[in-house]
Amino acid sequence: MKTKSFLQFVGPSVAMMLLLLAAPLLLTFYLSVRNCAMEMEMVKIEESTPFGKKETLTQRAKLDAAGKAIQSCSFVGLDYYRKVLGLDAEAAQPGGPPEAAGTIAKGDKADNEFLGALRFTMIYTFVTLPFVLGIGFLLALGVNGVSQNLKGAFISASLLPFIITPVVAALSIKWLFRDDGLVPYLLSQVGVQVFWMAQAWSARLLIILYGIWHVVPFAFIVLYAGLQSVPQDALEAATIDGASRWQKLRYVTLPHLMPLIVFITLIHLMDAYRVFEPVMVLTQGAFTTSVQYLTYHILLQESNPYKASAAAVLTLIGIVVLLIPLLVKTYREQKRGV
Amino acid sequence: MTVKFNFPRRSLLACAAVAALLPGLAAAKCADIPGKGEINIVGSSMPSVQHLAKEMESCSKGTLKVTIKITPEARVETERAFGSDGKSAFDAAVISGGVYSNLASRGQLQSLTDLVAKYKVKYKIEDNMLVKSGNDVLAIAYQQNAQNLYYRKDLFDKHGIKVPTTYAEMLQAAAVIKAKEPSIEFPIAQTFSKGFDISTEFVNIYVGLGGKLFKPGTAQPAFNDEIGVRTIELMKSMVPFMTPNYLASNSDDVMNQFMQGKAAMGVLWASRAARMDDPAASKIVGKMEFAAAPAAMVGGKSATHLWWDGVAMPKNLANDRDLVFQVLMDALDEETTKAGNDSTIWIRSIYKPTRFGTGVILSMKAGAPIWPTEPYVGLATGELGKLVPEAMGGTMTPKQALDAAAVAYTRAATEKGFIK
Repeated sequence: MKTKSFLQFVGPSVAMMLLLLAAPLLLTFYLSVRNCAMEMEMVKIEESTPFGKKETLTQRAKLDAAGKAIQSCSFVGLDYYRKVLGLDAEAAQPGGPPEAAGTIAKGDKADNEFLGALRFTMIYTFVTLPFVLGIGFLLALGVNGVSQNLKGAFISASLLPFIITPVVAALSIKWLFRDDGLVPYLLSQVGVQVFWMAQAWSARLLIILYGIWHVVPFAFIVLYAGLQSVPQDALEAATIDGASRWQKLRYVTLPHLMPLIVFITLIHLMDAYRVFEPVMVLTQGAFTTSVQYLTYHILLQESNPYKASAAAVLTLIGIVVLLIPLLVKTYREQKRGV
Repeated sequence: MTVKFNFPRRSLLACAAVAALLPGLAAAKCADIPGKGEINIVGSSMPSVQHLAKEMESCSKGTLKVTIKITPEARVETERAFGSDGKSAFDAAVISGGVYSNLASRGQLQSLTDLVAKYKVKYKIEDNMLVKSGNDVLAIAYQQNAQNLYYRKDLFDKHGIKVPTTYAEMLQAAAVIKAKEPSIEFPIAQTFSKGFDISTEFVNIYVGLGGKLFKPGTAQPAFNDEIGVRTIELMKSMVPFMTPNYLASNSDDVMNQFMQGKAAMGVLWASRAARMDDPAASKIVGKMEFAAAPAAMVGGKSATHLWWDGVAMPKNLANDRDLVFQVLMDALDEETTKAGNDSTIWIRSIYKPTRFGTGVILSMKAGAPIWPTEPYVGLATGELGKLVPEAMGGTMTPKQALDAAAVAYTRAATEKGFIK
């Protein structure tokens, strides 16, 4: 293809990526090494509310001639990165225990919030992946074997969890498992009482179950489509050679589906890493925090876009590290022309 | 077969005349507000805001268009719009007292003093609706809210339990119900979910025990003192009477536990009270009563805080301030209050208190203070909301959790410029 034609085809999407991806990323990195604070001063002011008047000693921002708060911005280097990772030693105040700086202690071991979130995000990503692939594949095989007039119904039903808005899906899971929800009720009928949101293992299990349930349809539909293109002559040859069902699956079907399996793995790794809705809806971050939820929390609760930018950049470094092996493998395969 | 429809010409004309008048009738609410353009307001999804939205949007007529964006992220959107360097995306916002404190401290609210003076008589703006910082009116409040005690009067009467006035009495009442009502395994339901809910519970009880969140005259934390430890210990003593899922129990869950008859008492927002009598969802219609939030100690004030919600306009307003103010005051007039009487606890004197509002009024009478107005309170509650659950769950001692919260808060307050 001529270079000019190539540029004409690729140009628009490259421009969009620069505008919508590269530029915001650069801006986020720029924000992560800065801090802006208003100049606050102590004032004694009479506050009047519907409940009465009160003279309070409080802080107000210094205002300029136009009535706007005076902001002073400065370059802080990697300070916020250190704070997010809990590496700042000087944060401990006199009178406070040194190990309390930026940490959530778990027994004797100090457990930094970001690293805890990263750990749970990794657990979620790598535990859901094999189940998503396995159950998706079994579903695809099953639906493939169903009679033609029922296929449509089965496919639609199987896709439902993927179509539901994540927040609505997470809410429905919460309502199933909370006090007096259907699941605790059914379990109590057989004498088992579990409080799902009360301890770490069950809260994490719920989120992992949600993740599997929500993404299986995606694996199913991709693998089902792949099953339609399995070479029939190879299957027939295997049958003639006396291969069992399992051997046909292992030596003909699976190798044919391997590129799709790699594709699903790649997409799922990227999606699962961004897990947010179940953490937000199911547990509000109790026992389970993900990196996306943490960035959101810092941005909204602490109203600190600079620290949130540092958390966002660290999150990005995490996903890049995660994807490097897979991208290298894919690149090598492309070069070999497989 | 054809059917001839004979419609007399006079009737047609009459219908047309009525049809032409209809928009005029609908806009009679803002009939005397001259103005054109677009007014954009933002507010949360509270029932009262939904009611106000209908009133505000009915002001749309001809060249004037009023839209109100209802979103659970109202606080974030308001702070972003009012704090932007350019003009604000919203001409006004419905805000809570906490958001007001943040915006006022940053000088982002515009003074409404002259507008109040101009329109006080026309819209009957009452004095206790005015929220002032010094001499400047910066917001107009319309509703009040507080977390008050909910209790099942039928069960209390059945077992001869007095309405608790302290947390100690509430624990005793819970023990009686747990022992004598087999269907109620967890008599207390309260919003202990990680984050905003549990931090508000902590602050309510801490202040109720006489604690001071910050060292006087500074933004330095003082909540990691001995009173803070006692606060967490009091909260922990409630745990045996609450569902083990308490760290995920938010207002919806607590409301659900009450409505399903699974809990018999607890401190919850008054704005949720009306749902107790919703026959579509509640199994306990008419059985829940409301009282002042219990005190944290004998002789103490009611361990809760008073909140208000109201409207405010930004300094970086792009629109005609007179017009925006009139639309807001038209929506907050006596007519609106009367029409939406049961949707919240209004501040206007014309409000007829329903039984759902008694808890707030009794809490006020029992000395409940207003929610702290220092602009750095939000930073402190953010850290407390993260770390108090660790103490509740036993992964940290109360002192460790509070010290960690104090350290994290100090860092955040220094970043924001509250601590030099």
